Amino acid sequence: MTKYEVIIIGGGPAGLTAGLYASRAGLKSLLIERGIFGGQIVNAALVENYPGFPQGISGAELGSLMHQQAVNYGLEVITAELTEFTAGQLYNVSTTKGNFEAATIIIAAGSEHRKLGVNGEERLSGHGVSYCATCDGFLFRDLEVAVVGGGDTAITDALELTRHVKKVYVIHRRDQLRAGKTLEERAFAQPKLEFIWDTVVEEVLGEKMISGLKLHNVKTGQHSTLEVHGVFVAVGLMPNSQSFFNIVDLDDAGYIITDEMMATSAPGIFAVGDIRRNSVRQVSTAVGDGATAAMSAFKYLQERG
Amino acid sequence: MPVSSQPRIIILTGASCPWCGKVKDYLREKKFRFREVNVERDPEGARELRRRNITGVPVVLINNRPIVGFDKAKIDKLLGIK
Repeated sequence: MTKYEVIIIGGGPAGLTAGLYASRAGLKSLLIERGIFGGQIVNAALVENYPGFPQGISGAELGSLMHQQAVNYGLEVITAELTEFTAGQLYNVSTTKGNFEAATIIIAAGSEHRKLGVNGEERLSGHGVSYCATCDGFLFRDLEVAVVGGGDTAITDALELTRHVKKVYVIHRRDQLRAGKTLEERAFAQPKLEFIWDTVVEEVLGEKMISGLKLHNVKTGQHSTLEVHGVFVAVGLMPNSQSFFNIVDLDDAGYIITDEMMATSAPGIFAVGDIRRNSVRQVSTAVGDGATAAMSAFKYLQERG
Repeated sequence: MPVSSQPRIIILTGASCPWCGKVKDYLREKKFRFREVNVERDPEGARELRRRNITGVPVVLINNRPIVGFDKAKIDKLLGIK
């Protein structure tokens, strides 16, 4: 069992910033990441709203720079899966690469893509169904695809896809987008995009490969079939809070409840970024959460003695 | 594991695909050798994927059997990683 002063769970912008600040404050800090350093943004072709990069920066590069910077100041990082999280005298974090303990924990475990949850989706995943336009877009060259969703991610994906495909249908369950104005204007001006409003996907059709989507218009009640060669799902996120529910308070949707200093209901546990309630899920806010939590952890350790 | 007993592994990747790097790191960590084909720069590779009804990267071909995405459980099973 290795002992730290702070253990950070999750290596996206929130966790990496918490790690940077904690390390620079001289705290012995460990960050545990299960997948890729950088979190959700590694899937973004271009991040245009993070200050300091007037031409935008690729999400993967931004994530990797944040990782480098935190490690430069002494943050220890491992790639491992969290297997158990328990509270005792100290908090115990069991992972696939060993067990660790600390008096303070910063939960930065983020969120993951919500699935449509319809027939055919899982079976045809990788066979027409994708969750990453940046990764897979080029495999649909000159074909017709659909994007499901109406938020920033959906519209960014749709615009990214126009570089490769012939046509993109954007299927959204409301009659207006939730994406930011700049993105919306760009989307409406892009002739390759066609919007299908007030509509949800009921089924992904196809045997070995997607052949189309069964759609349902929620206003008129009408059902229809749309032939596409691919569908990119961008219908929002789900918090990765399953390992923490019996230790910290969550809201009804599973997000961790914090105060403005990122403190949760459990002493010494802080939560930051996408996993916390009312997060606006931006890199810039995640970074702010991370800095705040590290300072809160520092203060908590001082007072605890 | 002796080198000769290793199955033939080819990883098909794209240019901006974070999980492609991850799957390569994982196989290196487990001491498996592999060949990489970037199908984004190789149109024939992309067509080959289409023929196999595959529309996502990375694809790990283990003795020609495809695993789509970084599916650790499946990779572990086919390569006998404990």
